[in-house]
Amino acid sequence: MAFQSRKKFCYFKENGITDIDYKDVKLLRRFVNDQGKIMPRRITGSSAKMHRKLVRAIKRSRSIALMPYVENSAE
Amino acid sequence: MRYYETLYIVNPNLENEALDQTMGEIRTELEKTKSKLINHRVWGKKRLAYQIDKQKYGSYILLHFEGGDQDQMNEFNTWMKLNNTVVRHMTVILDEKPEVYVEEVKEEPAEDKTTESVAEKAAPVEEAEVEIASEETEPVETDDTESTDEKVEADTPEEVADESPEEEPKEKEAE
Repeated sequence: MAFQSRKKFCYFKENGITDIDYKDVKLLRRFVNDQGKIMPRRITGSSAKMHRKLVRAIKRSRSIALMPYVENSAE
Repeated sequence: MRYYETLYIVNPNLENEALDQTMGEIRTELEKTKSKLINHRVWGKKRLAYQIDKQKYGSYILLHFEGGDQDQMNEFNTWMKLNNTVVRHMTVILDEKPEVYVEEVKEEPAEDKTTESVAEKAAPVEEAEVEIASEETEPVETDDTESTDEKVEADTPEEVADESPEEEPKEKEAE
């Protein structure tokens, strides 16, 4: 009982989001760590389908300089 | 026909006339591809996530169009690459037809760093806006979650407004 972890859920399914826009930086920021790396599905809990869309959106967003490729990199 | 969205970055230091001129050039270049222009608007000046050509800021311009001749689309793409005023551009296929953009009247956002009296006055106004918003959203079933969120937010500003007179001076001293 003490070790019962919180149930993970897909953020997009929960909020009824079907398409992810690469211009929505505020949303995409939630799914990268502070280095700007895309967080794995096992941590975000998003479904496989939405994770693929998420990855595409983040990569597009990076190429048009809305999101960083690297940030706060450990020296 | 497919719908496309092109987002491109222009040097933010361009004057309005120069900006209009480049937007006009791009429009005429796009017309060569027999594409139908839907939207062409300035999205705004934004800080770039990384420097491009030693620039930290860029003005983003959004272009929606219905695709024309494919070969000439490629030419348009190369023309955009060679164009020196366009710092970077990206074209994306859209799944659905984009809505025609109509300029909205921007509401003045409530300022956070206001004096105590102004903060107290601003709170009722925010509530009024939220009430209107919730009325609009209530008929739609899918927006129920959003409207509840807004109500939760609407409750908090009162508490913040009550506590803020004591807290804010301390923060200023700390700074």
